[in-house]
Amino acid sequence: MLRLIQTEFLKLRRRKLIWIMLLAALMMPFLALLYFKYLGKTDVDPMEFYRWAAFGFTVFIILPVVLGILCTMLMYEETRYDTAKQLWIVPVSQMGYFFSKFFVVLIYAVTFMLITAAATVLCGVPTGIIGFNWSSILFLLERCMELGGIISFAMLPILAVAACTKGYILPACLTIVYAFAGFILTPVNMYLHPLSSMLPILLRNKEMQGLTLTQDFRILPAVLCFCVWDLAAVAFVNVVLSRRK
Amino acid sequence: MSDFLIETRQLTKNYGDQTVVDSVNLHVKKGRIYGLLGRNGAGKTTIMKMILGLTPITSGEVKVFGRNIKGREKKVYPRIGAIIETPGFYPNLTGSENLEIFAKLRGTAAPNAVKRAMDVVGLPYKDKKLFGKYSMGMKQRLGIANAILHDPELLILDEPTNGLDPIGIAEVRNFILDLSKQEGKTILISSHILSEIALLADDIGIIDHGVLLEESSMRELEKKNSRYILLQVSDIPKASLILERQFHTQDYSVSDNHTLRIYDTSLNMAAVNKALMMEDVAVISSQLCNDTLEDYFKKITGGEGIA
Repeated sequence: MLRLIQTEFLKLRRRKLIWIMLLAALMMPFLALLYFKYLGKTDVDPMEFYRWAAFGFTVFIILPVVLGILCTMLMYEETRYDTAKQLWIVPVSQMGYFFSKFFVVLIYAVTFMLITAAATVLCGVPTGIIGFNWSSILFLLERCMELGGIISFAMLPILAVAACTKGYILPACLTIVYAFAGFILTPVNMYLHPLSSMLPILLRNKEMQGLTLTQDFRILPAVLCFCVWDLAAVAFVNVVLSRRK
Repeated sequence: MSDFLIETRQLTKNYGDQTVVDSVNLHVKKGRIYGLLGRNGAGKTTIMKMILGLTPITSGEVKVFGRNIKGREKKVYPRIGAIIETPGFYPNLTGSENLEIFAKLRGTAAPNAVKRAMDVVGLPYKDKKLFGKYSMGMKQRLGIANAILHDPELLILDEPTNGLDPIGIAEVRNFILDLSKQEGKTILISSHILSEIALLADDIGIIDHGVLLEESSMRELEKKNSRYILLQVSDIPKASLILERQFHTQDYSVSDNHTLRIYDTSLNMAAVNKALMMEDVAVISSQLCNDTLEDYFKKITGGEGIA
């Protein structure tokens, strides 16, 4: 498996678009300064600043869309250049192939969130919006890494669809629908969709104030939601890839 | 274990109502080059894909190394090198980088395996040219390099000379012959280029519309190819009459208004020529001929020739 993961990263050499997409990690920290009018304010509660700069739209919209595009690219390129056929006769197991791609998505998501965390600190501390405080920075880093990992699991169904289709249009379109569905379903029932199920995990210790949600934060149904979606995705990939081969 | 490295029994593949491979019994002997000859779309690639387990079999059986491949892929694939259709590689990587990926995945132990494979096919090692910028011939060579990277016992090569220039074709041919004769590798090669198969193969299978029409060694095939006397004369009816009455043979055929093919090569041609001239039949030419593989292909497929 380690060999497979290593080769997955070798395949990404000279893929500029994949690295350019990481720039999206800087979007919300900078937008928070301007759009949410933090620029000029001082001594803002760090949790409130992090909420907009690092967690809000980045976690629920930007990163899921970026990861959806990444999933589509990783899978579509194998079909487009007919390399999957060469991999099967190495042999590479279908599930090993799928999970090695997932591992790339996982590392990418964590990297993305760490860049967001760094940009948030750089936008907040030097401008005086938030004070330098190790505990709040460590909280930000810890949650960003955690969320990076969780979002990659939330995107597993999109990776599964990308693995099972030969084109890029369906997984790309589904990414948009999936990301916005998570956003829309949050006020209805946050335990229906993996992206909305991230919210109780993110807010489990109630560090962030000011969020008014009509539902209770319960970890178990959130984890269960992830399990159901991810197991269904893995089973779907297993069946389709076995048939295709 | 039988002598056959690959053996298929009643191998059949249907796509919906269409049968693309029909009850094929193929036998590839150890250490030999088996040429699968057929027109484009005859079913060669489908057979190779079924042998490799890349496409499901509708019915029949495939044995590789004496046993069914299904469920034994992990043991069998490392002993096989294959190119199926156009070899696919990552266009953003160089040839060496592409092969390094496959070497890593295969766990190829030899440290210089990539360099050796690239040297064999005549591609520069550690060249900066990306695969996406390769010509068709270079892509094909890299595909062959990938197939031999792990030093497999069995090579399955689907049209390996596609896109190569004449010199490249000759190089690949010599290299395939070397692999078989010097290293004892077993090779199943498909082609629609008849001359290539004729120059390479020890055994040949002729496939048309999914049906394996003929399977034999090249030596047997050469024996089967009929020898005949090609006779060009001014008057075919008169010449036919002379052959039947004076030489008591009906073993001939009329090709056109001036050409006869006499299959009874024991006839004394000097006597035949003399008899024809005595009856005022002008003999334009007379020569002993052999049917080519193309003639044979035409004969058994009952149609047009092949490249």
